[in-house]
Amino acid sequence: MSVGHVARGFEEAGIPTVSVFVRAFRHVAEVMKLPRAVITQHPMGRPLGGPGDRERQRTVIEAALGLFDSATAGGTVVEIGDAWRPGAVNR
Amino acid sequence: MTDIEPDPKAETLEEFKNSFSYGARSDLTFKFLKSLSPEDAGEFFRQLLGEVGRSLDHGEAGPIHQLIFDWQVRGYERSGPSHEYDTAPFVAPAKPVSESKVGVLTSSGHFPAWDDPNPFGVENMTQAEAEARISEFMRDTPTLSAIPIDIDPGDLRVRHGGYDVRSVSHDPDVAFPLQTLIALQAEGVIGELSSPMYSFTGATSQGRLRKQALPGWIRSAQR
Repeated sequence: MSVGHVARGFEEAGIPTVSVFVRAFRHVAEVMKLPRAVITQHPMGRPLGGPGDRERQRTVIEAALGLFDSATAGGTVVEIGDAWRPGAVNR
Repeated sequence: MTDIEPDPKAETLEEFKNSFSYGARSDLTFKFLKSLSPEDAGEFFRQLLGEVGRSLDHGEAGPIHQLIFDWQVRGYERSGPSHEYDTAPFVAPAKPVSESKVGVLTSSGHFPAWDDPNPFGVENMTQAEAEARISEFMRDTPTLSAIPIDIDPGDLRVRHGGYDVRSVSHDPDVAFPLQTLIALQAEGVIGELSSPMYSFTGATSQGRLRKQALPGWIRSAQR
């Protein structure tokens, strides 16, 4: 919810925002009516991609940035379908 | 056949599943178990053990990860947010992203090593202590940490009692996209990356966040 309140507050003050949520919190983005949100199929605490997975992290950030150019109304939610993949971490 | 008397001290399934959420078996990746009914928690463990057993032969962890993901979604969907709104605010950016200054504010709990917010006056609070004091965090006012974009990666710290920080401890960009945005700035995808980036601990009092902290954060961004 914290992300939602921050995004709503900044947007209401005239600063465009986009938020990233993991799928488990999609309902938060929807009921809080956020300006723009990207949803990832990632486990909690790993919203942008696995550790060291720059390709996935970039995909998510580019999707988020893309909403600044493409969204035409508040409440725009885009879900990225790519399934979670582990990062490169040694045990 | 011998009758086995039930042990009155035996842990119930309810107690067992709840212990993963800030209890004796606290593991924040699995704290969603508390939101499940005992029957659903039992079903989760049955499916999990099934996938673990099958993985002995095929050697793949993907189905196990997908199962955990699916049940996390199921668990959190049952704990709906208490703040609902009817309309979404919206302001169109004045310029394309490629010409815009982009700022970042995350709820991931990152901070510079030289500027620890020292929650509740505690210096060098550990992640374990933050988890143990989660109920205090949920009543407190959040502190915003400013993180210059040229920070030495070794000076970036994270602490957050609300989620499993193991992944972001290996790579901040899992939740704090510093290197990703630096690269996108260099390629001209964004006009400029604003420095500093900001972060706070999202597990916080929502009322204090909205009424005490957020107005000042917005004023700073407008300057």
